[in-house]
Amino acid sequence: MAPIEKSDLLQGTLDMLILKIVALGPVHGYGISQRIRQISKEVLQVQQGSLYPALHRLEKRGWLEADWGASEKGRQAKFYKLSEKGRKQLASEESNWNRLAGAVANILQTEPAQ
Amino acid sequence: MSFWKSLFRKRPSDPQMNCELRFHIDELTDENIAAGMSPGEARRRAMLEFGGREQLKEELRDVYRIRLLDATVANLKSALRFIRKSPTFSSTVILTLALAIGANSAVFSAIDAILLRPLPFPAADQLMLVEQHNAKGTAALTRVAPVRLDDWNRLNSTFQSLTGYYTEDVSESTGALPEKVTRAWVYTRFFQVWGLAPALGREFSPEEETIQGPAAVLISDRFWRRRFNADPGVIAKTLRLDGHLYSIVGVMPATFLFPDRDTDLWSPLPPGVSYGRARENNWFIVTGRLQPGVTVAQAHADLATIQAQLARQFPKTDNLSISVEPLKETTIAGSRRSLWLLFGSVTLLLFIACTNIVALLVSRSAQRQHEISVRFSLGASRGALIAQLLTETFLLALLGSGLGLFLAAAASDIFRSLAAQLPRVEEIHLDARIVLYSLACSVVVTLLCGLVPAVRSTRRSLAGSLAQTSRSQVSARNPLQWLLVGIQVALAVTLLAGAGLLLRSFQELGRVTRGFDSSHILAFELSMNWGETGDMKKLRQFTDHVLETLRATPGVEAAAISVGVPGVAFKYQIELKPLEGRAETEPKLIAENRFVSASYFATLRIPLLAGEACRETDGPPTVVVNRAFADAYFSSANVIGHHVQSVEMGYTGAAEIVGISGDARESGLDQPPVPTAYWCAPVAQPGTYFLVRTSNAPMTMAETIRRQLRDIEPMRSAYDFAPLEQHFSDGLAENRLRTILLSFFAATALSLACVGLYGTLSYNVNVRQREVGLRLALGALRGQIVRQFVWQGLTVCLLGCVAGFALAAASSRVLAGLLYGVSPTDLPTLSGVILLVLLVAVAASLLPSIRASRVEPMQVLREG
Repeated sequence: MAPIEKSDLLQGTLDMLILKIVALGPVHGYGISQRIRQISKEVLQVQQGSLYPALHRLEKRGWLEADWGASEKGRQAKFYKLSEKGRKQLASEESNWNRLAGAVANILQTEPAQ
Repeated sequence: MSFWKSLFRKRPSDPQMNCELRFHIDELTDENIAAGMSPGEARRRAMLEFGGREQLKEELRDVYRIRLLDATVANLKSALRFIRKSPTFSSTVILTLALAIGANSAVFSAIDAILLRPLPFPAADQLMLVEQHNAKGTAALTRVAPVRLDDWNRLNSTFQSLTGYYTEDVSESTGALPEKVTRAWVYTRFFQVWGLAPALGREFSPEEETIQGPAAVLISDRFWRRRFNADPGVIAKTLRLDGHLYSIVGVMPATFLFPDRDTDLWSPLPPGVSYGRARENNWFIVTGRLQPGVTVAQAHADLATIQAQLARQFPKTDNLSISVEPLKETTIAGSRRSLWLLFGSVTLLLFIACTNIVALLVSRSAQRQHEISVRFSLGASRGALIAQLLTETFLLALLGSGLGLFLAAAASDIFRSLAAQLPRVEEIHLDARIVLYSLACSVVVTLLCGLVPAVRSTRRSLAGSLAQTSRSQVSARNPLQWLLVGIQVALAVTLLAGAGLLLRSFQELGRVTRGFDSSHILAFELSMNWGETGDMKKLRQFTDHVLETLRATPGVEAAAISVGVPGVAFKYQIELKPLEGRAETEPKLIAENRFVSASYFATLRIPLLAGEACRETDGPPTVVVNRAFADAYFSSANVIGHHVQSVEMGYTGAAEIVGISGDARESGLDQPPVPTAYWCAPVAQPGTYFLVRTSNAPMTMAETIRRQLRDIEPMRSAYDFAPLEQHFSDGLAENRLRTILLSFFAATALSLACVGLYGTLSYNVNVRQREVGLRLALGALRGQIVRQFVWQGLTVCLLGCVAGFALAAASSRVLAGLLYGVSPTDLPTLSGVILLVLLVAVAASLLPSIRASRVEPMQVLREG
């Protein structure tokens, strides 16, 4: 299956995915793009051109907090973690997404009338 | 709030962004190396994969950059679109604001010119008015003798110079007809003190300021334009004033309206004239310029010391105290209260207009809820939306204030003619400061009106608002809008109460018993000059001749002369000393003084209660006092036969009291009659009014009398013909201005409140259509529906009335000083106001209520 093009991924959905990844623990930008690729089994690949603007936007909105620290290899990197507001935002977006997904699934499962 | 926090969050610097991106690239490089590439190749692939770094950094910077200018332009464009889309809404708001902000700007321009700005002279805060006061009593004869002025000038150390002036009306006869002009005699150093040089020509030369020197005048800008059509060749032309020739040496600038705005020319009064040497001849109004850095208190102390010295030297005439006051203060002090009252009223008006607009905006944004929700779902931040809504409000406010300024400019002539009695009226004009003030008003209005609706309507509700329509609401409470209507009614009631009280006060003034009959009296003046008073005999003959001619004219019933107009305050209260001695414990004889001929009482129909009117023989002077005088000072003894002498007027001897007259309100219609002494002065002098009782309307006789007088005195001009009643109305002009303006504001406030009530009730009716339809279907009567809605409107009005009256009671102290014959809690006025407001409320509520009751139940229920 071909990886989904970046234009197919809505901006709001990318934000939600980033928040979810960061919720798993403080992580830097490179780490986020790696994780998304790994966890989605190479289906979703985020380009840097979308990732970093999204990260900075989320930080500006107050949903992520950033700190400078040392990576595993000892290099200087900017680590992002989830703020309290971000946690709430993630929860609300998750529930919205689930509702939407459930509704779409219901319609798709409908059998044609006999 | 996150919008504001994000404004102040530190954005990452360039090195930081570089560091973050470089880390990513390094990791990618490591990945590639681990996959087996060479370091150089790995790095190249990594950078390729990463994409353009500068481009990315630009995008990152974009996240933080608040594109203020672009956003503002976009907001303005969409605001313009919004205004064009809803013309009725926009024009209502713009007109309301135009009225409120325009009135505000007009009143502010008056306050700015009159109260705030310094006088139009260089270093105007150094200019002082110096007066002398009788050290013993409350009476104030504040003019100063020339000799004393010289002494002050010589001995003081706090003034740069002191000078004096007085004005008189003279006849200028180089034209076809003699014309009355006002001339100011000015002492030396006059123009030095003011600091202004003539706009054309030159000041007086030292030779012209001596007695034998050439006769010169400076003319005013107004006179120059009127008489000479602004001809620059006016220098060296001559004028004939009371028969003497004077040469024009210069024209003063247009802003020089002192000492008086009517002054047409200035002549130097040389020091040392013979009649100026007596210390009791107090003519001059004294002004002075302080030295830089000297305070008023210092100058006062200095002059007081000097005067104390003079008092020791000349105990008979110089036992006086001094007052030094800034000239601006003395010019404007009387009008301050009126102006601030006006300002308070227009500000109140602005608030009422704002409440109207808030209500309109709230209902409007309720209709735009759909649009706002769509915008949110497309990713707009709350801050951006609020900014856009505020921009729309600001644009409306700007347009309104622009229109308002235009209206104020157009109405400025009317305003100026209404306010002609106020000092410094000529200085009022619309300039940059007023425009700035209008702008400030717009900003305040925007914030006041726009913020609450904008914040309220952009509340991020759940996605449900996209699907929700207002029809699903069965009842809407709208507490905010009713609160606004209540506030409007309260403010309108306050203004109405104030206006009503002022109107009643005016009415009371009209009904006051004057003590004299002022109908059918024509008053005029004849041009004279002070030099004529050197020959009293000739003057007496002249006066008698004029009075006889007047009495002989058909249509004239009686004629008299009087210094000062009857019924208008003359401020000539001085102390009298009784020659028969008086106990120390008895009050001093302070009286208002009038100088009249014997026929005065008959002409004005003031009853003579005892004794006789003045004796006009050549014997000692005689005085007639009024009943208030007799009752206040001579309650036990018979006052006729006593002799009194004025303490300040040196040239009158002791006078005998020969009669008692009835009380007349000589010091103004709004004051009770004060003790008055009528001195018999059958000789006219500059400033004397000739009073003529006519059988028909007074002004019809003006031409006849003018012609008669020209026949007997061709060199003199008769001027200022006016019925006596007009002088009263002039005296009340300031009162009238206040009353008219306040009534206008109150009427506007009431109509605004009416519109507000109508609008809110209409909106309410619209929203509750389903409910009404339901009730009608269930069997309610239409009358019940009407009654319910009208009652809703009335309740809010009643509550507003209560609040308004509380506000009016709290501010009653402000009004108390301006009322006459009416107390601030006057019951008829207040009940009238309540009635008016209730009537208006019922009228405003009826239309929407009737519309509500006409709803077709089936149609509404079907739509729901």
